Amino acid sequence: MEERLDFAVYEVFAQADALSPHVHVFNVLASSPDMAMALAEENFFRRAEFVSLWVVRRDQIHHIGHHDREGFKKTPKAYRTTEDYKYLRDKWRYYRDHPMNPDGSEAEGVTGDAAMDD
Amino acid sequence: MPEETLTDQEAYFLERVDRGDRIEADDWMPEDYRQQLVRLIAMHAVSEIMGALPEKEWVPRAPTLYRKLAITAKVQDEVGHGQLLIRVAEDLMRPWGKNREDVMDDLFTGRLKYHNVFHMATPTWADAGVIGWLVDGAAVITQGMSLSCSYAPYARALQRIVEEEGFHIQHGESICMALAEGTPMQRAMLQDALNRWWPALLMFFGPPEKSQLSTHQLRNIRYRIRSKTNEELRQRFFSKYVHRIWSLGLTIPDPTLQQDPFTKEWTYQQPDWDEFRRIVSNHGPRSEARLGLRSTTYQEGEWVRRTIALSPAVG
Amino acid sequence: MQRWTIEEAAANPERSRLVSELLWQLADDDMIIGFRDQEWLGLAPHIEEDVAFGSIGQEEIGHAALYYGLLEQLGYGKADDLASLRTAAERRNSVLVEQPNGAGHYLESPHYDWAWTIVRHYLHDVWETALLGGLTDSVFEPLADAAGKILREKRYHLAHQELWMRTMAAHDPDSRGRLEDAWRRVQAWAGDLADLGPSGADFEAAGLCQSVESIVGRYHVRVSEMAGALGLPAMECETRQNGRCGEHTEALQQALDTLSEVYRLDPTANW
Repeated sequence: MEERLDFAVYEVFAQADALSPHVHVFNVLASSPDMAMALAEENFFRRAEFVSLWVVRRDQIHHIGHHDREGFKKTPKAYRTTEDYKYLRDKWRYYRDHPMNPDGSEAEGVTGDAAMDD
Repeated sequence: MPEETLTDQEAYFLERVDRGDRIEADDWMPEDYRQQLVRLIAMHAVSEIMGALPEKEWVPRAPTLYRKLAITAKVQDEVGHGQLLIRVAEDLMRPWGKNREDVMDDLFTGRLKYHNVFHMATPTWADAGVIGWLVDGAAVITQGMSLSCSYAPYARALQRIVEEEGFHIQHGESICMALAEGTPMQRAMLQDALNRWWPALLMFFGPPEKSQLSTHQLRNIRYRIRSKTNEELRQRFFSKYVHRIWSLGLTIPDPTLQQDPFTKEWTYQQPDWDEFRRIVSNHGPRSEARLGLRSTTYQEGEWVRRTIALSPAVG
Repeated sequence: MQRWTIEEAAANPERSRLVSELLWQLADDDMIIGFRDQEWLGLAPHIEEDVAFGSIGQEEIGHAALYYGLLEQLGYGKADDLASLRTAAERRNSVLVEQPNGAGHYLESPHYDWAWTIVRHYLHDVWETALLGGLTDSVFEPLADAAGKILREKRYHLAHQELWMRTMAAHDPDSRGRLEDAWRRVQAWAGDLADLGPSGADFEAAGLCQSVESIVGRYHVRVSEMAGALGLPAMECETRQNGRCGEHTEALQQALDTLSEVYRLDPTANW
C-alpha cells in the first residue's frame, strides 16, 4: 500500500488592530511554523487586514470545552455585573433635582410627584 | 532627551509614537521608554495588589448576602487587575532577567511605592462604599487617560480594567446611596467616611503642576505614555463628583471648594502635600500593617509557588 | 411521583420541618466555608490562584444564598437574618468547615495553611457533590432544581482541589509532607461531615433524598479512591462535636461575630 502523506495542523490567530485581542481565524496544514504563517497569510488575509498573526500547532493547544464548562454561570451571578444597579441612574437624576438636606430629609419645596424608582 | 542627538533607531521609534503607532513587547524600544513603563506599570500593579486589602477587610463582614457576593467579586477583580498588570510588567522586565518576584520584593523593601489611598484606614463599612464610588471613580479618570498609551499591552490590559471599573463604581454608589437614604446612624457613617477620604482623594492625582512639569511627566508625555497633567485629572474628578456628593446632602470638608462659573475651574483647599509624601513612602496610617500582612503571607506561600514553578506536569 | 412545591411544603408542618432541616445543613456548610474562603482573598500564594479561589468562595456563598432563599420562601424569616443572626447552636454546618484556615486572624498576622485549606475544601466538595447527587430527584422540587444547577459548579470546585492535591503529592518531599500533614489533621474534624443528622432516615423515607447509605457510600468511595491514587493512608475520622446536631467549636462563634458585624448594627436597616 502506498504511504499516505501526513501534515501538522496549525491553528491561525489574527489581531485586527493594536487594541484588539488575537482572534481565532481558521487552520492550515503545513510542515513548519514558517510555512504555516506563509500559507495562513495567503489563505485568510487576501482581503482582511491584520496587524499581527499567530500560528500554533494544534497539538500544542490545551483546551477546555463546552462540556467541561457546562456548569459555569448556572447559578445567578448578577452581583458580578451592573445589572442590578440600573436603578441608580434614576436616583441620581432625582437627587440632582431634589437634593437631600444634611440630615437626610428632602430639600424644601419638593413635592412628592417625582416618585423614586427603586 | 535632546532630540537632535538621536540615533536613527531612536528617531524612528519616536516617529512611530508620534503617528499613533502602538508599541509591542518585542518591538525595539529605547531603554528609557522601557524604564518609564516599568516604573509606571509595576507601580500600578502593586497598587492593585495592595489596593485589594483595604476593602478586603470588609469582605467577610459585608452586611447582606448580596453585598457579600458583590464585594467579593469586586475585590477579586482588583486582584485580577493586579494579575493583568504584573504580567505586562514582567514581559517588559524580561530583558533585565527580572520577574514578578522582583516586583514583590521591591514592594516589600519600599523601593516600589503604591498609591496613597491604599495606605489609609478603613474603620467602617462606609469606607468600602466610598472606595468603590470615589476612589475607583478617581482611578477610572486616570486610567481612561492611559487607554491612549503608546504601549499596546498596557492599553489592552487597561481596556479590560476600565470595563470592570464600571461595575465597581456602581457597586460603590449603591452602598453609599443606601447609607445616604438610611438611618441617621448610616448617614453619619457615610459623612464620617467622606470626611476622612476627601484629602486622600485629592492627593490621589498627585501634586498640582505649578508652571513646570517633572522630568518623568515630560518624558511620559513625550512617549505618549500619559497625556494629561495631575491637575487636569483632578479638575475632571471635581466636575464629575462634587455635585453628586452634594445632592446626597453630604458636606465636603472644604468650605472653600467652588467652581468658577465662567472658566469652570474648581478652586479648593490644597491637601497637605508633605503628608502625601510621608504616606507614599510607607508612613501612612496603615502602610506598615498592610505591607506586613502582604509580605508575611507572601513569604509563607513561597512553598506553594515553588510547587507550581516550572514543575513537571501532573495530570 | 407527586412533587412538592414551596407552597405545598410550607403548608404541611412535618414536610416543612424536614425540608428545613436538610436546607440548614446545606446552607450553613456553604455559608461558613465561603466565609473561610473569603478570608484568603487578596492573600493567596499565587496571584492567578487568588482570583481562581475567589470564584469558588463566591459560589459557595451564592449557593448558601440560594438555600437561605428557599428557607425564606418557606416562611423561616428573611434570608439575610438567617445567614447573619442565628446563634451557633442553631447552625447545622459540619465542624470541619468552621475551623480556621490556620493560625491568626484575617486582619492581622494570618498564618494560613494552603494544604489544609485545599484538603478541607476537597472533603466539603466531595460531600456536597455526593449529597446533591442524591437530591436531583428529590420530592421537594425547588431543591431538586437547585441541586442540578449547583452540581455543575461543584464539579469545577472538586476538579480544582483535586488538581492541587495531585500537584502537592507529586512535586517534592516538602509539598508532599504538607499534604500528608493536612490529610492527617482534617480527620480530627471531619467525622460529622458525611452525616445527615438525626433526621437522615426521615429525609429518605419522605423521598427528600435518595438512600442515606448510598449518599454516604459515594462520599467514602471517592475519598478512598483519592487516598489510593495519591498513596495517602485511609481516612479514619473522629467526631468530637456533631455540627449537624448544633454542637460547635469556638471557631464558629468567631466566624459568626465577624460575618454579622455590620448587619447586627441594625438588622432592620437597608444596607
